[in-house]
Amino acid sequence: MRWPLASRSVAVPATTPRIPFNIAKPNQEQIVLLITIVLLIVFGFTLNGFATISNLLNLLRSISILGVLGLGMGLIVISRGIDLSEVATLAGCWAIGLIEMQRGMPVGAAVLLALAIALLIGVINGVMVAFVEAPPLFVTLAAGFVIYGLAFWLAPAWVVYAPRDAPGLMFAGAGRLFGIPVPILVFAVSAIAMHLFLSRTSIGRFIYAQGDNPEAARLTGIPLRPLIVLEYSLVAFLAWLAGLVWVGTTGSMQMAITQGTMIFDVVLVVVIGGISLIGGRGSVFSVVVGCILIGTLLNAFTIMDVNSEVQNIIKGVVLLAAIVLDNFLHPRDEETARQGD
Amino acid sequence: MSDGANLANGAAEPVLEIIGGSKIYGGVHAIEGVNFNLYPGEVHALVGENGAGKSTLCKAIAGAIGLTSGEFRLDGKPANFEQPRDALNAGICMVYQETSLVPTMTAAQNIELGNEKLLTRFRTLNIQAQQLLQSLNFHVDPATPVAMLGTAKKQMVEIARAIYNKARIIIFDEPTASLTPEEIVHFFHLVRDLRARGVSIIYISHALEESLQIADRITVLRDGRLVITAPAKQLTRDSLVQHMVGREVAQAVYGRKEKTHQRREKVLTVENVTMGMAVKNMSFSVYAGEVVGIAGLIGSGRTEIAKVIYGALKRNLINGGTIRLRGKPIRYRVPRQAINDGIAYITEDRKANGFFETMVVDDNVYLGKLATKKGFSFLLSRARRGKLANYWVERLKISALQRKARIIELSGGNQQKVVLAKTLVQDPSIIIFDEPTRGVDVGTIPHIHAEIRRLADEGKAVVVISSYLPEVLAVSDRILVARTGRIVAEFDAAEATQDKILYAAVH
Repeated sequence: MRWPLASRSVAVPATTPRIPFNIAKPNQEQIVLLITIVLLIVFGFTLNGFATISNLLNLLRSISILGVLGLGMGLIVISRGIDLSEVATLAGCWAIGLIEMQRGMPVGAAVLLALAIALLIGVINGVMVAFVEAPPLFVTLAAGFVIYGLAFWLAPAWVVYAPRDAPGLMFAGAGRLFGIPVPILVFAVSAIAMHLFLSRTSIGRFIYAQGDNPEAARLTGIPLRPLIVLEYSLVAFLAWLAGLVWVGTTGSMQMAITQGTMIFDVVLVVVIGGISLIGGRGSVFSVVVGCILIGTLLNAFTIMDVNSEVQNIIKGVVLLAAIVLDNFLHPRDEETARQGD
Repeated sequence: MSDGANLANGAAEPVLEIIGGSKIYGGVHAIEGVNFNLYPGEVHALVGENGAGKSTLCKAIAGAIGLTSGEFRLDGKPANFEQPRDALNAGICMVYQETSLVPTMTAAQNIELGNEKLLTRFRTLNIQAQQLLQSLNFHVDPATPVAMLGTAKKQMVEIARAIYNKARIIIFDEPTASLTPEEIVHFFHLVRDLRARGVSIIYISHALEESLQIADRITVLRDGRLVITAPAKQLTRDSLVQHMVGREVAQAVYGRKEKTHQRREKVLTVENVTMGMAVKNMSFSVYAGEVVGIAGLIGSGRTEIAKVIYGALKRNLINGGTIRLRGKPIRYRVPRQAINDGIAYITEDRKANGFFETMVVDDNVYLGKLATKKGFSFLLSRARRGKLANYWVERLKISALQRKARIIELSGGNQQKVVLAKTLVQDPSIIIFDEPTRGVDVGTIPHIHAEIRRLADEGKAVVVISSYLPEVLAVSDRILVARTGRIVAEFDAAEATQDKILYAAVH
């Protein structure tokens, strides 16, 4: 008898390797873009005052803050993380910055102070996730509450106003450059920069690799821990940038936004556009498309005078539709469909 | 032993019959026009390379998927399974390697799983399970949580569950992959016992020797088509391989050449390294220009020592021993440091941590280069990516047709080659292969062995960890045997035989 051990052991039965890659199949971004274009055309013909240059600029301007936040969230979701403290970071760092302005700190210094606070939060989040190895969902959820509490303690006001003599600060929200409102430019430049960062640099590739398979990334020699700290710092930086536009637009910072649904809107635009929560998939284009769809809907609602409860319902339905669409586009294999999970 | 073969000769009606069975996935035939039958009390082995359609055929039989076309007959009557439950009710049961048990439940609860009554007493449950297990001659305590059982006993629980479900047809998928030699012998007794009870068995295995030994008939699949169904007695290992590959496999690589290597510098020294319970006082050294094979069973600490050297696992802080790289003591916190010092580790489980599944071949290879200190560049370069990937695709003979496909869609052999390329592109001087040909099709194995040889000839130190003894014998210049966290024996390639190695590895 031969030794039975003299045998090849195989752990992974091969089932999938023969399915060809179908390039004709549209992905989620393209479908969402198509829906957006259809909506734009429909609203353009049916709603009075929708298809005007000023309204369309208004539309873009209204989504720019959400867009900048979404770029950060997109980055972190691609890396298989999530940052629920993004809106709290935005509100917290600027509330403190503005209160220091009121107390007499020079505007430039206070802006840099806000940036420093934001980056500190990002680094702390990153260290908690990378070195303490706590799950990002809980780290950033808890961080959001801590930031809210601390900021409220340091700047005890629901609404902190910017000083009147700071025209430079208002430029970020109300100014125009080449006839285009600055918030739109901020969003556009951030999106292009983020796109180049993710698709043209090796760090960007590392982020996709991490989201695809963190253990493989580690064994390949990608410095995961510094990378994670960098990612959370970038998110915090974008939160600061979005806050700059916010302060410029409203002349104030409202702590109430940390308690609202804004953070879910940010997750919404990211997920709608096709950045999968399992990581490694999607791009900046996903965020832009998701933003434009949500912006179009919100703008049309405003013109149609739909109240906020109905708006929430519609937003929820759109999110569910996106998930159903995702399942439809990427059907699970027959096996799981038959057996369930 | 011979009664099963007699039955297969056509005395009885087949219990299961598939006529012209085809399954199409995304426009491609996974199996095409397969005629398969199974007689009562027969052990029928299915062999074929990865992707030949063995799994697809079995999934169709077990009702996990439906056939696109073809006739499916059970006891001569047409049958159509909507879901696995239907197949189970018809007495068809698939035994997976160890995945389908609930670890926190006891053996008895697992046997009962899916058939629970509204209220069950633990006592009744345990007694029932005890009776069943005893009738099968299994020494398993029904009250033990499955998580605490060994692999062999888990398999027994799976089989007991199949019998409890009144299975007439049992499909075993790679049942011996993680069993020790004694356990395999016991498992074979069990299979023969089941056959004597009139149970029909479909046996999928990559181990051709096993199939020849246990099966009454063997069916060979290749590229989704049935190549041959013949009684096991009429087949040999060589003829099977020939049918599987469709051509003569280059055996030359398997036969060791004359000793060509010359020992050079001692590159890596492992002295008394200890890590938890897995590695205990392990010592060995590796020289440049040689291939060191490490043989050993699963759980002998061979993978763990590789990961300790690589920095993926940490050895004990106190009394952890020393590892020296060219005489200099090293202790890595992360694999990145090992990589920058020229140490590479090629994982045993490529799907879990070997490659990036959303990316194409080129990106995987390029990422390997970018992740090193020397290969890093902030901006990506298409030209550099193409150059690196072309070189490795050419050198390792990666199927060039699939360059644009995501790596998850490649065959097992090509995936493994991409993992090799992704690691070798980092220019290591010490390379540790962990199960380099696991889940790799027979035709690709010689390519990988040739590459291992080539690396050693280039003056690199190569370590090959494998539980497949012919592989260890074929590629190594020197063979170490690991057992319970220690190196217990060392052989020169010339004097080593399978028996000697096994004797050292087992007891």
